[in-house]
Amino acid sequence: MFDLSGLTNALIWGVATGCIYVLLATGLNIIFGVMKLVNFAHGQLLMLGAYIAFAASTALGLNAYLSASGINVYLSIIIAIGSVALVGVVLERLTFNRVRGKEKLTEIFISLGLISVFENAVILWQGFGLHQTVSPFQGLKVSLGSVSISYDWLFAVASVSVILVFLLLMMKKTKIGLAIRATSQKSNVAVLMGVNIKKVYIFTFALGAALAGAAGALYGMIFSFDPYVGAFPTIKAFAIIILGGFGSIPGAVIGGLLYGIAENTAVFFLGGIWRDAIAFAMLIIVLVIRPTGIFGEKGEE
Amino acid sequence: MKTSILQAIKLHVDFRSRKFQIVIIALAIAAILPLIIGSEYVISEVLTPILIFAIYASAWNLLAYSGQASLGHAAFLGIGGFVSALIGVKLGLPPLIGLFVGAIFAATIGLLIGLACVRLKTWFLAIVTFGFSVIAATLFTQFDTAIGGILGFAPKLIAPSGLPLYYVAFAFSAMSIFVIYLVIKSKWGLSFRAIHQNEQEAKMIGINVAKYRLLAFVISTFFAGLAGGLYVQSSSYIDVSIFGLEHSLEPLMMAVIGGLATIEGPIIGATIIVAIESYLPTLDPLLRSQVGFLFPSVSNAGPYLRTLGLGIFFVAMIIFAPKGITSIIPKITSYFKTNKKSDKS
Repeated sequence: MFDLSGLTNALIWGVATGCIYVLLATGLNIIFGVMKLVNFAHGQLLMLGAYIAFAASTALGLNAYLSASGINVYLSIIIAIGSVALVGVVLERLTFNRVRGKEKLTEIFISLGLISVFENAVILWQGFGLHQTVSPFQGLKVSLGSVSISYDWLFAVASVSVILVFLLLMMKKTKIGLAIRATSQKSNVAVLMGVNIKKVYIFTFALGAALAGAAGALYGMIFSFDPYVGAFPTIKAFAIIILGGFGSIPGAVIGGLLYGIAENTAVFFLGGIWRDAIAFAMLIIVLVIRPTGIFGEKGEE
Repeated sequence: MKTSILQAIKLHVDFRSRKFQIVIIALAIAAILPLIIGSEYVISEVLTPILIFAIYASAWNLLAYSGQASLGHAAFLGIGGFVSALIGVKLGLPPLIGLFVGAIFAATIGLLIGLACVRLKTWFLAIVTFGFSVIAATLFTQFDTAIGGILGFAPKLIAPSGLPLYYVAFAFSAMSIFVIYLVIKSKWGLSFRAIHQNEQEAKMIGINVAKYRLLAFVISTFFAGLAGGLYVQSSSYIDVSIFGLEHSLEPLMMAVIGGLATIEGPIIGATIIVAIESYLPTLDPLLRSQVGFLFPSVSNAGPYLRTLGLGIFFVAMIIFAPKGITSIIPKITSYFKTNKKSDKS
């Protein structure tokens, strides 16, 4: 009666989806930590990343050599990361930069407006049907007894790990990482210490957007997507930040994995319709019992 | 209670003021307009929704007035709509009672949600309310055998659709907005504004921040539930799509475009958005023939171009006119006045 391999599969998929959420939440967390900006359109950057990767891999796939070796897909991930980072810079300069220092609600409203801008722009570009990037490991699997793990899954977990290691190294070892950490701790003191805060803001937003773009490119390989795919991941990423605590990258990693696993186990036990509801119920319960998050700083005013 | 309401009316309704005259003119226009237009379609598809969304947006706006933002008001719109419709259809009670029970039910759920999260930061509340709207949609889908929300059903109508229903909506809309006006002008409203402007200072002068936030949340969800019941009446149909994200964002857009934290803002915003949504589709064939070739992926680019335009307009509005359209009008008039003066001199 009890399907153990099914549960193991659910856990494995939980880790894979969790990894994508980790990238998204980390980006959001960095943007929030440095700029104190609550960007509800972050999931739309994921969606944009998925579409750019899809379009790039399709275009590059026309070349027989590239498509045979799967290089078109790897290249498309890099293209997606770069272009979404660029979109992030434009976004920061055109919109959020203009309302900095005003009321918090203003930023929230802008990001909500951007949701509709992104979704409709992408619909006009690519239509509203479902797409999925053809991954180079289509159908390849490793079997471990009754459980089989697909190469896509391994690729996603490996890419996320590499990206996170790079991110941590950058934050700890480079000058811009130091500037970012200083600004997120106390921006006015950072300015006094000679940090060019305008550059830090632009770089931070680009970095957060790039992480969302990477998350989107990986998402597009594992799942099929449409232009409306971004809304839920945004809120889930916020949930993960709340679970894992603000400003903490390890917290976001643990929170993201926990969240992905909880979501997929809920689907396994209760059925697909509960996917989003269970996750939010969990979030609300955590907020009520422990408003500071599991590992986190203060969320209560 | 009764005397305090009368006192509040005496205090805050100045029958000789310019504002009062404008209100009377607006009410008169709203009362006569459907008689002049006469088209069944315009009355039931444009004018009635404007009135209902004016309640909904005003309810959302009251929340923003106290410095809170909800991204899941569709949950309360939907709960109000479903409860009011179910009471009429399943229990056979008069739909007018259903309307009030639905609103009270929505407010009760609002109270529970509010108790859980009024102490949280602004955007935490935004996320929790959003999450709750998803949970509500799932619950109503899951218990479909009892509710019938997936296929949808028709509610019992208060009045036949068309003109009679318009006047029902008109009465409810006028009363609701008047009550919200009184709340804003009362001591409660003053506390809401104090909390919105500076929470620390509000605390310091002895305002119980959590209590007043909760109060704003409950009043707001009550009127959202009422709007939900009326919305179901006007569309004479209800299904789970009422919980959709677009219904959570509509009141926000209306309030912001019209003018946040003003009484007239949500009404103006509701008029603009509903009018845009009902009239701009006539542009679609033109858009398709003129620029459609640019977008080969979609067969009809019109609706998406329109929504894209509305999104850009909304963002530009927040950046350049954060206080909404109502703040632009005085600016324009004063601009013309100063120009006239300089002409004379």
